Amino acid sequence: MSSFALFSVVLVYLALLFLVAYLAEKKKSKLWINNPYIYALSLAVYCTAWTYYGSIGVAATSGLSYLTIYIGPVIVIPAWIYINTRIVRISRINKISSLADFISLRYGNSRSLSAIITMVCLFAIIPYIGLQIKAISETFHLVTETPVSKNILTDSATFVVVLIAVFSSYYGTRYVDASEKRLGIISAIALESFLKLFFIIILGLFVIYFVFDGFSDIYEKASRFSDFKAKNTLNGVEGALNWMVLCMISGTAICILPRQFHTAIIENRQEKHIKTALWFFPLYLLVFTLFIFPIAWGGRLIFNGQNVNPEFYSILIPQYFNNTVVTVLVFLGGLSSSISMIIISSITLSIMLSNNMIIPYGLLGKFKAENEANNTRIITRIRKFSIFGLVIMAFAFYKYFILKTSLDSVGLISFVIIAQLAPGYFGAIFWRRGSYRGVLTGLVAGLVICYFGLIIPQYYFSYNQEFKGVLRSMYDAFSFFDIPYLGRIPEVFFWSLLLNAGLFAMISVSMKGNYRERNFAELYVDIDQYIQNHENAFIWRGTAYVSDIRNILVRFLGQKKTEQAMRIFNLKYNIDSEAETADSRFIKFSENLLAGRIGTASAKILIEGVTKEDKISLKEVLNILEESKENIILNKKLTEQSQELKKLSDDLQNANENLIVKDRQKDDFLDSVAHELRTPITAIRSAGEILADDDDIPPDIKKEFLNNIITESDRLNEIINDILYLDKLEHGEIALNVRKNNILETYKKALNPLLHLIQQKNIHISEVNLLNHFIFEYDEARLIQLFQNILGNALKFTGEQGTIQTKFFIREQELMITVFNTGKHIPEEDLELIFDKFYQSKNQNILKQAGSGLGLAICRKIIQNHGGTIRAENSGLGVTFIIHLPHRHKNMKLNDKKAL
Amino acid sequence: MKKRHEQKLILLSIGLMVAFSIPVSLLFNSEQEVLGYPMLLVYFFAVWMVSIITAFVIVKKYE
Amino acid sequence: MKKIIIADDEHKILMSLEYSFKKNGYDVYIARDGTEVLDFLKTMVPDVILLDIMMPNLDGYSTLEMIRHDERLKDTNVIFLSAKNNPKDIEKGLEMGADAYVTKPYSIKRLMQRIEEMNNR
Repeated sequence: MSSFALFSVVLVYLALLFLVAYLAEKKKSKLWINNPYIYALSLAVYCTAWTYYGSIGVAATSGLSYLTIYIGPVIVIPAWIYINTRIVRISRINKISSLADFISLRYGNSRSLSAIITMVCLFAIIPYIGLQIKAISETFHLVTETPVSKNILTDSATFVVVLIAVFSSYYGTRYVDASEKRLGIISAIALESFLKLFFIIILGLFVIYFVFDGFSDIYEKASRFSDFKAKNTLNGVEGALNWMVLCMISGTAICILPRQFHTAIIENRQEKHIKTALWFFPLYLLVFTLFIFPIAWGGRLIFNGQNVNPEFYSILIPQYFNNTVVTVLVFLGGLSSSISMIIISSITLSIMLSNNMIIPYGLLGKFKAENEANNTRIITRIRKFSIFGLVIMAFAFYKYFILKTSLDSVGLISFVIIAQLAPGYFGAIFWRRGSYRGVLTGLVAGLVICYFGLIIPQYYFSYNQEFKGVLRSMYDAFSFFDIPYLGRIPEVFFWSLLLNAGLFAMISVSMKGNYRERNFAELYVDIDQYIQNHENAFIWRGTAYVSDIRNILVRFLGQKKTEQAMRIFNLKYNIDSEAETADSRFIKFSENLLAGRIGTASAKILIEGVTKEDKISLKEVLNILEESKENIILNKKLTEQSQELKKLSDDLQNANENLIVKDRQKDDFLDSVAHELRTPITAIRSAGEILADDDDIPPDIKKEFLNNIITESDRLNEIINDILYLDKLEHGEIALNVRKNNILETYKKALNPLLHLIQQKNIHISEVNLLNHFIFEYDEARLIQLFQNILGNALKFTGEQGTIQTKFFIREQELMITVFNTGKHIPEEDLELIFDKFYQSKNQNILKQAGSGLGLAICRKIIQNHGGTIRAENSGLGVTFIIHLPHRHKNMKLNDKKAL
Repeated sequence: MKKRHEQKLILLSIGLMVAFSIPVSLLFNSEQEVLGYPMLLVYFFAVWMVSIITAFVIVKKYE
Repeated sequence: MKKIIIADDEHKILMSLEYSFKKNGYDVYIARDGTEVLDFLKTMVPDVILLDIMMPNLDGYSTLEMIRHDERLKDTNVIFLSAKNNPKDIEKGLEMGADAYVTKPYSIKRLMQRIEEMNNR
């Protein structure tokens, strides 16, 4: 493929990225912003050209160690639920814009520490960027089958690099407030993560199914290599140890690499996205590595004997088979991996560079004098140039230093250097005592070891030079620490981190930090407690004027935003907007606002410039912190207590309302009882009056009236009895005497007294028995009552020559009894109400019962006390009552006095 | 997510550390083959897959 | 002969009233609910109507409403007979247009006296 054609492909690809970023910015739709998969995919920026090309090289030459780059992260990532959630919170609250900010803020917001950390990142990452450029350049030449030109200016790959530098610098600086999320770029990165995976899958499938006949084919052929077995097992304890250490290196890197910190922490929009990343990211890595094995061994098989760089098997294999499409796709995949790394890394490095080195060490004076628009422009310009400069520097680095080195070793060296930040990083969130001096000492010591152990040898080895003189003797001296069974890189990792962490711990423990450090230590380690009002947790004493600070804020945020922010602040802490002096909360608040623009270190310097802080002793600060901690706990207790009180008062109110309702219900009940009683009394009185006054009343009528008196008296009695009985049932004064009984016999006992009445009315009564066992647990006397009430009810409403049918069956292992009688239907709205006491329907089509009107209510109460249910249904030519009697149940009111 | 569910994930991390560390990984370090593939490879990928599934289940269950 | 409609869903109460009023020379019409009362009213104009309030199908109040809308019945005395005896109910009954409200249990003698008085007015 011609250079020009490939160059155009690259152009189109970059245009696509641009388009995606632009659209994502423009739309900002909820779907996009809240999508956890975009976040999870953006984390895959971890997979760079090193993964794409380098891993294949390692797999083909040294076997299993290629897995270590992925296994490390896989081990660490589940713990992110705890670690990263806290870091995200800390960063959000303190408007952290970079890794350097995060660490240096914790250790006292020191400008020098943040500058040093920035330099460490630069030293670690610029070579890494160079690695990407190397990959792009070399694959470009491979695909176009052109040699690398000695003259940089005529080398086509150079133009690609310049293009990328321009693209990154433009797109990386769209926002000055570094804490603002860059939705556009992250979307583009997510797309790239997807594409590179997709393309490597295509390549994998190509190799497995097109070049060979399936996975087992490759495996079988590859296993004939003499070193196959060796490469696929660990080389004893030594191999396993190296393997383990390499995993540790990559496990550290996944947390600390600036680009990982940026995508995982700073660009995190919602804490819950971390949960998706927990499983999604390892899954992504798994799919990625699945294909490395076949591609690597496929390459070995195809190019056996030839002197071909295995790192580029992925390009060479499809090219060997003259498949231009796959070749270009693979190239694009590699391009994706490289570009995403370059963009994110250069962005985050430029933020660090501008916030921690350029601005605080030179430009603060200038900023104080300018207005917001100018300041913004200046900052943007600084960042733009930084990005461009960094990419070009990386390019130069590649050309002069790592031309001949493998991708793998450059990458690993980067990892080890960046790992020097680990003690300070993890110590920041877990250890209150970790101090600035400890971090600094440990960091420097670790770096020294890295320098002598990794960088110098690398430099010399790539130029096949020998150590001379002083360096030689130093090198020999250090050989005492040589660990024979660890490779060079794991060995250096081990010693450097040991010394680093050791010094960090020892110095932090022996020397007290200053109070500012201690303050931030509390804020970091106890982030959950301070999350609501972190401004309160900041301890500061001195003189400061709101107007002075406001002037500074205006210079970076502009008038409007400053006013808005201050209004919110005053509202939050209930501060008078006319107040002239500023307190510690305002100081923290202002520092936070500025940190978003120029980093925490510079923000602190600017604010310091217009305030006068009093010295506080560490002891005082610790006391204040203790106090505020106690206050927080006290506050919590008070809130809890007040909530309990509120709940109690709510309960009380409910109970009161209940009582009122019950009282009214009682009144209503008494009314209806009185009403019910008056009816039979009226009949009795009327009959009695007539009998008393009328002497010549015909005997048959006389007899009738006398009978009336008797029957109505009985009725009266029945009503009174039922009322009292129902009352007892409701108040639990009747204990259920639950025993095992034969349900059919109980039924017979209930039916007997009613039999002659049934015969009288010519009613046909039958039972259907679908039970296979008859013994159930219930109170027999009550059930007899229930049956009699139901049957009596059925009797009353069945016309002459009607039918009553009782059915016994089991449903869902519990006893069901239905009693059906022919007769008029009950109106729908009354089906439930007929069980109420004395219920009289408005649209009564049923004649009023002659009974007490309480029969069904008593039935319901009895069955409820058994934990069961009763209901009525219109069915066919009549009405069915359905009774459900559960097993002996905790709901059975065996013997409890229910309160009113 | 409640603390104790978080701890399950931390335990997963620790478990993975153990699974990939010296004594345990060497157990599977033989030239034997499982399902036609090197035992160590199978072991690594199997543990990897199980960890993904475990993490997924924990996250989804206690959402 | 004076005509009277007696409405109550309790058979035994109806019996007593029917007997007494018949004895006193009234032409008695028995109704078990409001609809039966209205049926009677289609074809005759009674002098007195005794209305129970709680009756099925059409209760006393509704029946009274219908009655009061009927021009022909303006001279008919309508008396509520009810077990509901709290002042509110009595007030409601009278406001609806009943000529009297008698609570159960009542003395039949006194009831008849009252009706006489009303008729003579």
